[in-house]
Amino acid sequence: MFLQNAVADLLNEADWTFALAECIHIGGFAVGVGSIALVDFRLLNLGMRHETAARILKYTEPWTLIALVFVIFSGAALFLSQTEIYLVNQIFPIKMYVLAAALIYNFTIHRKVATMKDPPPVLSKLVAAVSLLLWVSIVFGGIFTGFLI
Amino acid sequence: MAIAHSIQSIGFLSDFSESVLAYPIVMSIHLTCIALFGGMILMTNLRLLGLTFKSVTITDMVTSLRLYKRVGGAVMIATGLLLATCEAEKYSPNPLFWTKMVILGLIGVHGLAFRPIVYNRTEELDKSPVIPTKVKIAAILSLALWTAMFTMGRLIAYWDTD
Repeated sequence: MFLQNAVADLLNEADWTFALAECIHIGGFAVGVGSIALVDFRLLNLGMRHETAARILKYTEPWTLIALVFVIFSGAALFLSQTEIYLVNQIFPIKMYVLAAALIYNFTIHRKVATMKDPPPVLSKLVAAVSLLLWVSIVFGGIFTGFLI
Repeated sequence: MAIAHSIQSIGFLSDFSESVLAYPIVMSIHLTCIALFGGMILMTNLRLLGLTFKSVTITDMVTSLRLYKRVGGAVMIATGLLLATCEAEKYSPNPLFWTKMVILGLIGVHGLAFRPIVYNRTEELDKSPVIPTKVKIAAILSLALWTAMFTMGRLIAYWDTD
């Protein structure tokens, strides 16, 4: 409760703090989703064919992690600033379930297939397509949450 | 304002802005392109700065995803155009919208200025033992312009006519 009140006060009192949190949220998901998409595009055999997906993952993972921390913290701040609005929103809980699924998927199945030595092409493509679908759904979920407020 | 009113009164644009689903879907596509291809541009710039993908050649990083970045950029502009023109009266007096358009223009200028000396000379750059300063300047400017671009995009909604 204390945290919620403190965050709500901070984000609602000054005009620029809510906007700043939104900008960090957008910048963060651009880096997060963009870095995951590089691995997915490789798994789909669409680009960076000189590198293995495992190597691309090795390079992108630290950026993905840092970006996701920024996205989640800024998202939590946005949520805590107007909890009552988000809690009655029909789309917001769906976005949260898909986010949980995407995070678990990214660090389990996605990671496993990206680091496999010679994964069957069908499996690689399927895993990449599901990953892109999950992350894109979250972007759609974010916009639709805003439209229902 | 009369021009802005005429633009947003064009049949399909007024239908579009009044649609419960079409407007947020197009906005989501706009944001998805920012996430996917804006993110790829960010990662490419980080490679140019030598911060990641060190064993990947600059050529591979810049050219192998170029087509997708271009298609993504085209979709981003097309959807952005649709979002802005359907509410032309609201956008036309907004200084933050015009700031965003100036930044978009500067991104174009950046491309024209650095393409002949950086982005079209990647094979030469890969042979260089250190990343030349001009490459780092191109990457830093690109990062700054794209950050300013999405920040302005978000802030447009906060500008109040009163």
